[in-house]
Amino acid sequence: MRILDEIYFIPGTPFTSMRDAYLVGAGQSAYGAFPSESYRSLFRTAFEDAVASVPNGLETGDVDEAFIGTLGVGGRQLGLSGPAVTEHVGLDGVPCTRVENACAASGFATRQAVQAVKSGMADVALAGGFEIMTDMSSDATKYWLGVSGETEWERLSGTTFSGVYAQMASAHMDKYGTTREQLSRVAVKNHANGAKNPHAQLGFECSLEEAQSAPVVADPLNLYHCCPTSDGAACALIVSEDVVDEYTDDPIRVAGVGAGSDSVGLFQRDSYTGVPASQRAAETAYEVAGISPEELDFAEVHDCFAIAELLAYEDLGFCEKGEAGQFIESGATELGGELPVNTSGGLKSKGHPIGATGAGQVVEAFKQLSGKAGERQIENPTRGLTHNVGGSGGASVIHVFEKETEVSV
Amino acid sequence: MAAITAVGAYAPRFRITAEEFADAWGHFQASGISEKAVPAADEDALTMGYEAATRALEAAELTGDAIDWLAFASSHPPVAEEDLTARLGAMLAVNESATRHVFTGSTRAGTRALWAGMDAVDADETTTGLVVAADAPVGEPDSELDHAAGAGAAAFALEASGPADIVDRAEHSLPYPGTRFRNTGEEDTQGLGVTQYDRQAFTETIGGAVDALESDSSDDLEPASAAIQAPNGKLPYRAAGAAGVGTDEIQAAATVHDLGDLGAASVPVSLASALAEDHESILGVSFGSGAGADALVLECSGSVPAQVDLETDTNGADDEQTLSYAEYLRQRGVVTAGPPSGGGAYVSVPSWRRSIPQRYRLEAGRCPECGALSFPPEGACDECGSLAEYEAVELADTGRIEAVTTISQGGAPPEFAPQQSQAGDYAAAIVELPVAESSRTETGEGTVSLPAMGTDAAPDAFAVDDEIETTIRRIYTQEGVTRYGFKVRPAA
Repeated sequence: MRILDEIYFIPGTPFTSMRDAYLVGAGQSAYGAFPSESYRSLFRTAFEDAVASVPNGLETGDVDEAFIGTLGVGGRQLGLSGPAVTEHVGLDGVPCTRVENACAASGFATRQAVQAVKSGMADVALAGGFEIMTDMSSDATKYWLGVSGETEWERLSGTTFSGVYAQMASAHMDKYGTTREQLSRVAVKNHANGAKNPHAQLGFECSLEEAQSAPVVADPLNLYHCCPTSDGAACALIVSEDVVDEYTDDPIRVAGVGAGSDSVGLFQRDSYTGVPASQRAAETAYEVAGISPEELDFAEVHDCFAIAELLAYEDLGFCEKGEAGQFIESGATELGGELPVNTSGGLKSKGHPIGATGAGQVVEAFKQLSGKAGERQIENPTRGLTHNVGGSGGASVIHVFEKETEVSV
Repeated sequence: MAAITAVGAYAPRFRITAEEFADAWGHFQASGISEKAVPAADEDALTMGYEAATRALEAAELTGDAIDWLAFASSHPPVAEEDLTARLGAMLAVNESATRHVFTGSTRAGTRALWAGMDAVDADETTTGLVVAADAPVGEPDSELDHAAGAGAAAFALEASGPADIVDRAEHSLPYPGTRFRNTGEEDTQGLGVTQYDRQAFTETIGGAVDALESDSSDDLEPASAAIQAPNGKLPYRAAGAAGVGTDEIQAAATVHDLGDLGAASVPVSLASALAEDHESILGVSFGSGAGADALVLECSGSVPAQVDLETDTNGADDEQTLSYAEYLRQRGVVTAGPPSGGGAYVSVPSWRRSIPQRYRLEAGRCPECGALSFPPEGACDECGSLAEYEAVELADTGRIEAVTTISQGGAPPEFAPQQSQAGDYAAAIVELPVAESSRTETGEGTVSLPAMGTDAAPDAFAVDDEIETTIRRIYTQEGVTRYGFKVRPAA
């Protein structure tokens, strides 16, 4: 046993002895409310968009394995919902695993795809996700909004996630003096970005005044501090270093992966002013990538609620602990700032179809790194991060993507 | 002979005035009531009984395990069939082998419970009995009965001797159908409203019970106060002659004018109020439709330990307590809908039942390996990862808020939609509770954090670092089964 450990596991340097994985394509459906679409048709749109984005082309038959993220509890508690969508797009017979980690489902599906490729079990792996959330009454929808929380105690104290994140906001405000206005600035920034994203569900700008005067959902969080419920799907294609040249001349390497988990209930954690699972995921991802946060050119972070984006700034080392409020106020995370965050509009403006969200973040990273982000394109980015959280922090996964060649914009 | 050794009483924080009813209906049908208590959306006879019982035990400086006989009385219990003393006993940590009785079916149920407790003491079947009477009558909104309906509870510790001896008792029963009844399956109590007939039933049975007292026959019954059944604020005074007392004595123990008709808790709450005011001799006479009456005579040789909390601001919280008529209809669920049809996050009754020691008694766990605390006490220890069985530890009923939010429309889980439509926005907090003194050991005291809903105060009365105390309330009802558990309110 000891000998095996020494050969196959080098402590502190996971994956480094394995082959590299690359992101060669990614695509998504629009996010929004689509009464005419099914989860399969949305997934098909995302899959076709992803395949079409591969620079040198990719055949459906090339895909060796698929990992599909979905929660699917609110309206339909389906089994085999992974194969149900891969079969629909012609991936017949391909091994397919459905991944459920709440809102981090397809972030973890992406991590599984990277693992499959790095381990040598697959050369081309599909990571995807989907969710249909808007085809039921708003009351019925609420039944599933808290299902990824701690249901026996946390939910039965009367909270869904808006309440739990509001509690985190109350603790952060109490400890660090973070203000409601700083929370509202997250909405203003992400709506400004989302207005430039044709796939965004709420693709309109909002003023600071509008963001501050919205109806309260769970004090201190108002409607503009909360992401919408969404339908949508997203896909990413991960390939091995052995085949990457067949698909692209401008490879984007999966430079770092990190993940963590924690107590599902907030009350069971040591801290309410940070997400320990994200801190752990970031530490691992930076170590694997061999970078520090200062070397990032952009980040897609999990802003299901405004406070979540502020916590991410701190958990991911974009700023010092307790200073996220000042950090957003400084403009550093705006498009054109030193570290643009959520150029896609984030969950707030782009939308949050639970199972699709993590893969959808990868879509934005792919677009930015391939120079295809349109109006919201960052100038010549080399390295970007995606950060996907399940529940209020029961699971968190981070990917660092790095461009290996210069791409002209 | 039995004696009352401690007493507790409770009334909800909400009040509505007679004027509000008069504005809504053009007139107020319950004469002699100026305002009345209204149970909050998360209260019922069981939770009010728990509040009164907790106060009585505190006054007696007893814990639940000292109680070997428990009775619960209510004319309007939250379930028509199911023995609520099992849940009440668990909430109070009464020994599982204690004798238990439920009394219902009449507003006389409260004194019947006292009567049975005296029998048990007389027969040496109990060392310390606990009688809990709680009620919140409900009638059709436009009925006299509903206009009068209040809410409140009282609890008495009974032993063989003590400061308040029950020196005499008698009962009397005559067939008088139709004065006040609720047929099987019905929610609302009703009466035919045959005025003279109703009065006759009331005074004849009360007169019969008082006449049957030994002390009455010996003509030495001159109580300082008289706790007479009060379906409204006038009827008890009409029975003054039959009960052989003056209106001043009735006035001295009356609670109906400020709390309304307390049903089976009417005489018990008045008795509690008189005992708390150290009246030396007290006559209590209940009336139950059907009809029947119980008469009890109390002689006090000393002050009875009492926690009788009938004022509105029980917690010192400075928030609005007086309801408009529309708010009254909301709180009572008259004009609100039930929960939307189901979905995820279902907690089954068996799952709920396993957590009852935590919900009712704040039972946490101490890791036998490292001494760290865990709540709920299950799964691996957060501190050392041990999977050893936790040692049960009881938490204190006061603590501090660590994080808090106010849940507005749209922020509540659908299970709580009915409560929110009845009671409005509510606070949801994470609170830190220390170990109860009784559970502290040398291996460390520590605290645990747990999520809890706020109650008994407006949501903005809860802020980070505020002191809170716990109580037990209705959490929600699913599949027809109401789940009760702890909530928090601003510390008294």
